[in-house]
Amino acid sequence: MPALLTVDTISAGYGDSEILHDVSMEVHEGEIVSIIGPNGAGKSTLMKTVFGLLHPKKGSIRFGEHDISHHSPYRIVEVGMCYVPQVANVFTDLTVEENLEMGAFLLKGGDIGARKERIFELFPRLKERRRQRAGKMSGGERQMVAMGSALMLDPKLVLMDEPSAGLSPKMVEVIFERIAEINRQDGPAILMVEQNAQLSLQMAHRGYVLASGENRVEGTGKDLLNDPEVARLYLGG
Amino acid sequence: MTDAELAKASLIFVPLFLLGMMVIPVRAIFRVPLAVVAAFVVSLLLVAGLATGTLTYLVSFSTMAAIYAVLCLGLNSQWGLSGHVNFGVAGFFAIGAFTSALFTTSMPSGALAAYSKQAFGLEMPFLVGVLAAGIVAAIIGFLVAIPVLRLRTDFLAISTLGIAEIIRLIFQNERWLANGPQPLRGIPQPLSCALAQPACSWLPQPIVDWLAPVGPRNYIFLYFAIVSIILAVIYLLLERISRSPWGRVQRAVRDEENSAAMNGKNVTGFRIQTFVIGSFIMGVAGALYAHYTVSIDYSHFNPLFATFIVWVMLMLGGSGNNKGAILGAFAVWAVWTGTAFLIDFATPAMQAISSDLPSRSAYFRWLLVAILLAAIVLFRPQGLIRERKLVSDFLARNTRRKA
Amino acid sequence: MSANEATASEAGPAGIPAAGKRRRDIAARLRSRPVFAGILVVILVLFWVAGYASGSSFGELLSLTVWGVMLGGILSLGAMGVTLVYGVLKFPNFAHGALLTIGAYTAYVVAGLLPQGAPLRPFSFGWELIVAMIVALPVVAIVALVVDRILFRRLRGRDASLVLFAMASLAATFFLRSVVYLIWGSDFYFYYPGRANPALHLPFDIRIQADQIFVFALAIALVAATYVLLERTRMGKAMRATANNPDLAQVRGINTERVIAWTWLIAGALAAAGGVMYGLASQLRPEMGFFLLLPIFASAIMGGLGSPVGALVGSIIIGIAEQLSASFINPAYGPAVAFVLMILVLVVLPQGLFGRSGE
Repeated sequence: MPALLTVDTISAGYGDSEILHDVSMEVHEGEIVSIIGPNGAGKSTLMKTVFGLLHPKKGSIRFGEHDISHHSPYRIVEVGMCYVPQVANVFTDLTVEENLEMGAFLLKGGDIGARKERIFELFPRLKERRRQRAGKMSGGERQMVAMGSALMLDPKLVLMDEPSAGLSPKMVEVIFERIAEINRQDGPAILMVEQNAQLSLQMAHRGYVLASGENRVEGTGKDLLNDPEVARLYLGG
Repeated sequence: MTDAELAKASLIFVPLFLLGMMVIPVRAIFRVPLAVVAAFVVSLLLVAGLATGTLTYLVSFSTMAAIYAVLCLGLNSQWGLSGHVNFGVAGFFAIGAFTSALFTTSMPSGALAAYSKQAFGLEMPFLVGVLAAGIVAAIIGFLVAIPVLRLRTDFLAISTLGIAEIIRLIFQNERWLANGPQPLRGIPQPLSCALAQPACSWLPQPIVDWLAPVGPRNYIFLYFAIVSIILAVIYLLLERISRSPWGRVQRAVRDEENSAAMNGKNVTGFRIQTFVIGSFIMGVAGALYAHYTVSIDYSHFNPLFATFIVWVMLMLGGSGNNKGAILGAFAVWAVWTGTAFLIDFATPAMQAISSDLPSRSAYFRWLLVAILLAAIVLFRPQGLIRERKLVSDFLARNTRRKA
Repeated sequence: MSANEATASEAGPAGIPAAGKRRRDIAARLRSRPVFAGILVVILVLFWVAGYASGSSFGELLSLTVWGVMLGGILSLGAMGVTLVYGVLKFPNFAHGALLTIGAYTAYVVAGLLPQGAPLRPFSFGWELIVAMIVALPVVAIVALVVDRILFRRLRGRDASLVLFAMASLAATFFLRSVVYLIWGSDFYFYYPGRANPALHLPFDIRIQADQIFVFALAIALVAATYVLLERTRMGKAMRATANNPDLAQVRGINTERVIAWTWLIAGALAAAGGVMYGLASQLRPEMGFFLLLPIFASAIMGGLGSPVGALVGSIIIGIAEQLSASFINPAYGPAVAFVLMILVLVVLPQGLFGRSGE
């Protein structure tokens, strides 16, 4: 099966400093892929590079048949990839509904209403608060708004940067449940970065371990969970 | 060489010597004799080589440029040292000019009193006027600083712009204060008696004899020497200050406001100090300007001539750098005066476009200065000379981003 | 701002704890919006009292207040643009006054080209001025866009500091103003020199010109239209989204450069209308925009930068304060009154009456 997203030996970073060194990875259609690793491993940098917020100095990124190594974010959205940043991921001054509409900004007219309804089915809590400003909502609700906005365009791949960060344990469970459900229902592939390795590997089809800006280990979620080295290093086992 | 030429050369010697001291790149012991020799030679060459008119023009150009250089140093001690965005230079400049004028002129009497009004006229000496100008501007600066310096950069810019406009409105509308919309005339020229007949009695006879051939019409030579000395004193003091522990704290406050606060420094206090120092220097510049033009009114202190162009000078020279500030002042003032020739040259063409245009040609110069500022902002925001080790806020950001 | 304030209070002298605490309590109470709105009302009432004490009659003061509301309408057209540009681009655009000036003069030229019709009584102007204004809207909008393309977009590309943006807008101000001087000179112009413009007599001895009512009605209509645009249209929402979180706007696939272009177009068109209205209410001169800059910024800041409703409310308060102050001080100090109120807002309630304070 051809890969949906192919990251081919990229190096990237800010200014002169290089954070990622020759990182490679793949995401196939319908897959949940989790990237774990310690703080400062370059997980967020990898996300930003894939999404065009940073550009690789070396190597290439392909999405389907497009080479997106040097695309700007809004062109990457156009080809079917969406991104849920870790922080500041909702428009705090806009209502829930407006946030969702902004997620579908590239869609001119058409079935925005129907898509909104689908998101509301997935996150009923958002429907109750559709007219509330996102800035007045709890962390978990904001995460729902952010995920909902990213799903508005029916992407083929959703990038999620630490979806569980700063949430209560109960809310983390809810969010992960939703992620699994999103993946089951419509089948967008999901590539996420997580601190919570245990939980995310349980759900993921495959995983990558990133350390010091390099790929260290890769395998299925279960394999990684059972890998003694991974457990010792990153699972706090 | 005539006596007059020798005397003129001796007056030009002063600024040239000071310039030499500033730019000759050797150790201090050798710099003094080198500067003396160089200034001596150049001043004689200038007097001998240039036509009288050209020389006078050059000197009066340099006087105005030197006054602007003082303004630039004042602005630099606020922006370069502390990062204050003062868009109200004109206000402090105006306060200095009117203060010194009021301190040194005499109260109009007789028939004149009906036409010319002013709050007081103390007939004080020039230096008292200059000091008073600095002190009053500093006091106003202090009063302004208390509420305004806590504001964010963008609000600070708007507020200072507003303050300058209000100061101008006051001088425009309050006739009792400084003759309102009418010019305040008769501002004395310092030491002008040295060139007059009979000369002032307190000056030693040899000096009077030496300077007498210059004649009162060429007073500008003497005034240029005075302005350049004051400029040099301010420059030296600022250099001293910025190397002192106090200067280091200022830069720390500018660059890392939060950590400086955590280190137990009273940040607001420090920020107010630089603002007040800058205001003082701008006030001094105003005094120098008043005694140069002899007659001032509110319209001299508009945002273009007294704020905007000073920023252009400082930006061009490289903010944070006192030498750059002086260089920028001379360079931009040269461009400004140079455009006058350009306008003369272009007048026939303008006449061809519209008969009204030549009479509006002055605005053409504004246009060019506006373009110059835009060009600096776009292409050379770091100025001609970089701040050596002490880079200002936005520069640090820029260089980091570019890297 | 928050960092500044925090350090300012940390760095403050230790003082006597109790007194310090009491002072902070008072300050905190002043910083709430209702209290501050109350202070503004008290200030306006004091202005009334001062005017009455200086010998103005009740009817005159009432007229001044009504004129203030009308002036507020004009100011709001400028303040709206300042607030939009500030919201999306996060810098104070000092060139905004010059846009008003360009608008007023453009309309003057266009009106001169048209045949002059009879005045549309009770107004003093004819249909040609309305046509001229409609022409001026896109002209100034495009001027604003061109300035952005030449200056501000390049600075954005470099991620330049706020000071460079402010300097660039000063450069644009002086550039545009010199263009006005070069083309039209420094003389005053009137749209209708010498035409009678009698005041209407309303109840309570209020005297007001029909033109002033027109100016205010038009301002309200335009501000309302802008509000609807921001709240209801796709581009308007994208503008609010970009103002709120530009990085996320990009992530969501919003072409922020297009949003910025629309912001300039709208701000420019509003400024053009404001310039024409001000020209109609007083006269055209090259400095008119710069003269209005201070009250416009004061209005935008009082309302809360980034808030269109705030811009309207702030403008009306500033307008009333300026007009009322003319009853007891030299009217030339109008901008100074606006300025003092602006400083008061900045010191006490920097986020303004309707602005959002941070997150």
